[in-house]
Amino acid sequence: MKKDKHLSPPQLFMRFFRWFCRRDYLEDIEGDLNERFDQLIEEFGLRGAKRRFAWEVLLLFRPGMIRSLDSFPILNRPNMLKQNLKIGFRSLMKDKTYAVIKIGGFAIGITAFLLIALLIQDETSYDQHYVEKDRIYRLLNVTSNPDFDIKSWTAFQPQTKQLLEEDYPEVEMAGRMILRDWYLAGDNQFRKSEEKINTYEDDFAYADPEMLEILEIPMLYGSRETALSDPLTIVLSKRKAEQYFPGEDPVGRTVVLNDNDERLFTIGGVMDELPNSHVKFEFLITLVDVEFWRGEQTDWCCNNYDTYVRLKPGVDTEELEDKLLAIRDNYMIRFFEDREEAFAGILRKYRTFDLEPIGQIYLNTETFADKNESGDRRIVKLFGLIAICILLLACVNFINLFTAKSANRAKEIGVRKVVGSFRLDLVRQFLTESVLYSVFSVILGALTAAVVLPYFNQLIDKELVMPFGSWWLIPGLTGLALIIGVVAGIYPSLYLSSFRPIDILRGKLSKGSRRPLLRNGLVTFQFTTSIVLVISALVVYQQMQYILNKDVGFNKDQVVLIQGAFTLGDKTDAFKQELTALPMVEEVTNSNYFPVAGTNRDGNGFWIDGREKIDNSVGGQAWFVAENYVPTMKMELVAGRNFNSKMATDTAAVIINETLARKLGLDDPIGARIRNYRAWNVVGVVKDFHYEDMKQEIRPLALFRGRGSASVVAVRLKAEHTSSTVAAIQKVWDDFMPNQPIRYDYMDESYAAMYEEVDRTSNVFAACAVLAILIACLGLFGLSTFMVEQRSKEISVRKVLGASVQHLFGILTANYLRLIFLSLLLGGPLAWYIMQSWLENYTYGIDLEWWFFAVAGLLVAGIALLTVSRQVLRLSLSNPTEFLKAE
Amino acid sequence: MTRLFIFYTFKVNIGEMSKHKLGELEEIVLLVVAILHGEAYGIAIINEMRERLDRKISIGSLQTVLRRLEQKGYVVSELGEATKVRGGKRKRFFTITNFGKDALQETRDQRLGLWNAIPGIIFDN
Repeated sequence: MKKDKHLSPPQLFMRFFRWFCRRDYLEDIEGDLNERFDQLIEEFGLRGAKRRFAWEVLLLFRPGMIRSLDSFPILNRPNMLKQNLKIGFRSLMKDKTYAVIKIGGFAIGITAFLLIALLIQDETSYDQHYVEKDRIYRLLNVTSNPDFDIKSWTAFQPQTKQLLEEDYPEVEMAGRMILRDWYLAGDNQFRKSEEKINTYEDDFAYADPEMLEILEIPMLYGSRETALSDPLTIVLSKRKAEQYFPGEDPVGRTVVLNDNDERLFTIGGVMDELPNSHVKFEFLITLVDVEFWRGEQTDWCCNNYDTYVRLKPGVDTEELEDKLLAIRDNYMIRFFEDREEAFAGILRKYRTFDLEPIGQIYLNTETFADKNESGDRRIVKLFGLIAICILLLACVNFINLFTAKSANRAKEIGVRKVVGSFRLDLVRQFLTESVLYSVFSVILGALTAAVVLPYFNQLIDKELVMPFGSWWLIPGLTGLALIIGVVAGIYPSLYLSSFRPIDILRGKLSKGSRRPLLRNGLVTFQFTTSIVLVISALVVYQQMQYILNKDVGFNKDQVVLIQGAFTLGDKTDAFKQELTALPMVEEVTNSNYFPVAGTNRDGNGFWIDGREKIDNSVGGQAWFVAENYVPTMKMELVAGRNFNSKMATDTAAVIINETLARKLGLDDPIGARIRNYRAWNVVGVVKDFHYEDMKQEIRPLALFRGRGSASVVAVRLKAEHTSSTVAAIQKVWDDFMPNQPIRYDYMDESYAAMYEEVDRTSNVFAACAVLAILIACLGLFGLSTFMVEQRSKEISVRKVLGASVQHLFGILTANYLRLIFLSLLLGGPLAWYIMQSWLENYTYGIDLEWWFFAVAGLLVAGIALLTVSRQVLRLSLSNPTEFLKAE
Repeated sequence: MTRLFIFYTFKVNIGEMSKHKLGELEEIVLLVVAILHGEAYGIAIINEMRERLDRKISIGSLQTVLRRLEQKGYVVSELGEATKVRGGKRKRFFTITNFGKDALQETRDQRLGLWNAIPGIIFDN
């Protein structure tokens, strides 16, 4: 009896039956079902038979017929696992090249993933360690004024702290800090009171005694309550205490700052090491009894104090923020009203306060705060994305190679199925195998990560350590190995186990590449990622070059900045003269303010004289500079003249930049009078020069004439600096200041330091691009080896028929070139979009040009061709008989 | 006294029933297996029941009954030869055991006893 296909029972119900039925009843009942179905057809026709058949099957689904649960295959029965591991290991050893490519690619991906995960973990760990984390806040000024660039900032008036303590029962404790360079905060010359030689030290900060409590600073010596409670006390970090007072408790010892023997500071305590925090300091100077000028502590003029609070439990911060507006109304606004300044209205209209939870400070980039450590939430997210992409690339490699090589496993699969293997068993076997690979890779990757961590730290300017001691490392890595093993293995194992044994054993299965579409898709994904990263790296690098080479409005080359020159005092002019007398020195000037990072800034308001009660002030910088500052810096005067000390009227002279003239609405600025805290005559207009980084527009600036000492002496040299020049300058310094070692920077380097972040971003992108290409090429190498194997006969026949080597090369590489071109089409716009939004951060940025994309495309195509060419050429040049003789 | 006697009778009845407890369907299936004598497999039984009793039974109910009978020891089964029909699946043939025959016999005796006990006046024809 010939079985018609139409007359076989509905497969869905048959499969269902086979699935649930007891194994020992299966065969004969299935036979009965078949027979019954034939009867039903005769009786009721095909449609009726199908319906009744389904009913029969459903009636069979009853307790006596359903197999017991133990006979369902359960995951990882130990015997099977052992067997699978053995097979996996054998297939790994059988083709070592592939094993190396698979594990190598995986390991590279995992290394990158682990390093970036460490970085992200570090970035998100800031300020998370406080016991009372949920109750500690930083107070923020917030303005909704559209004319202001800065939307929120940290500095408050000195009395805010006292008001918080007295008028707000919600506040348990309040404290102030000064972290930016201000008086003794910042850098100082430091020595023990009994010694003579000074040492330059950075990272001084002012703090109220309460700050030790609020920031929960662990104390090695002294206590939080008393360490800063007396006037003129100072607290040292553990590191500094060990440096200056090795092996002793320094509490009660005295130190001298900036050679000022009249004001001795007493050490009140030593801080133990601090976990990651947005504040960074080695020395804390008490704010008790500090008054920076007469009446400063009760003046509402000036915002200089970062203010922190610890609230009582259960306080509603939004409610408190509203209540805080009383400080604005009763004190801040009144200050301006008393002086009849228009700013009072602006305050009332736009100013509010925020309480910023301490755990969120570090990654918040919106707030303006000097000298705080800060990360960037966007960068963290971007890195996270890159990490996952690289890991995916590695998985893709694995999938590609596994499926491409499936032909080699086909016989094994066929035989296994014939002797009774279920599909699930095969899936499990291949998953075991891919997990085996991923375990090897994770081990290798973790070791590599540990080895390259120092270089990575250099790249990102961090001090990460491999958490080998942490309890979660082993479970974490095991989890990682399992997850990526399954992610990478699930598709190949489903694919391989779907082969029909009959096809395999008849040899009908075309060798391997049954689904080129998928494989091409995966290769395209890899190259798209590579191209995006290459373009990004190129753009960031170009932007860095642009910044470094842009005409910034002054000449930063061949200038030595001598730092900490404040201590010269009366001897400043003599020092400058002696330096000027040196043959290689062109000119010498001094100021606290220079257009590079690490020098002072001084925000002020400006008016046209006589209009200070009518207009809003124009915010800008007020810099006191030596007479010859403008010519020495080679800044350009677009109108008027430089300062001239020989003119008696010049005591009230000011030079303004173009932006200030424009913002004040001065069409003819020379001779105009502008007001800061007094009236000044504008004698010159200097061409706008960059003094902040290029993310910001150039802001208004006024140069006033300063005399005497300043923190920086700038020496312009006639030629590039050499060691002998520096030695000569140092000798002059040592003559003047024998107790203070010279400290100097090159101005061009200080300028470049402002853009370290750009430089780092560019390096990280470049490193990621290299990794992505490396992984993609490993995969490509494997694929091309496979392809060459597959097409060896075809190529040999072509060759016999007279095809040239070039022609064959073309045939074999055309597909890859197509894929790379497609990747460029996909990756180009994506990279364009990402980089365009990055460049939007910069007021002064480059334009994206077509050649970035062309270069990236050519580069990736070139590398890919090189990778495949070895295999392809080997085949094209080989003797065709070698492959044909077997037939 | 009387109550004790009733209790005793009741107990004896239970004991007698538990020796060969055949349900109605079980009895019929067992009978059909005996009728088919060596040719009794699923579909044959179903057909036989339909022809003789005009009674339709699903494979599910039949198989459940058959396996229960097998468990109780009234029938034994063995697989036959594979043939080209039935999708190449073998038939499972059921044969009645002596124990099964006893059970049938006893059921019939019980029924007969009951029939004989009916007074003639009831079926008065």
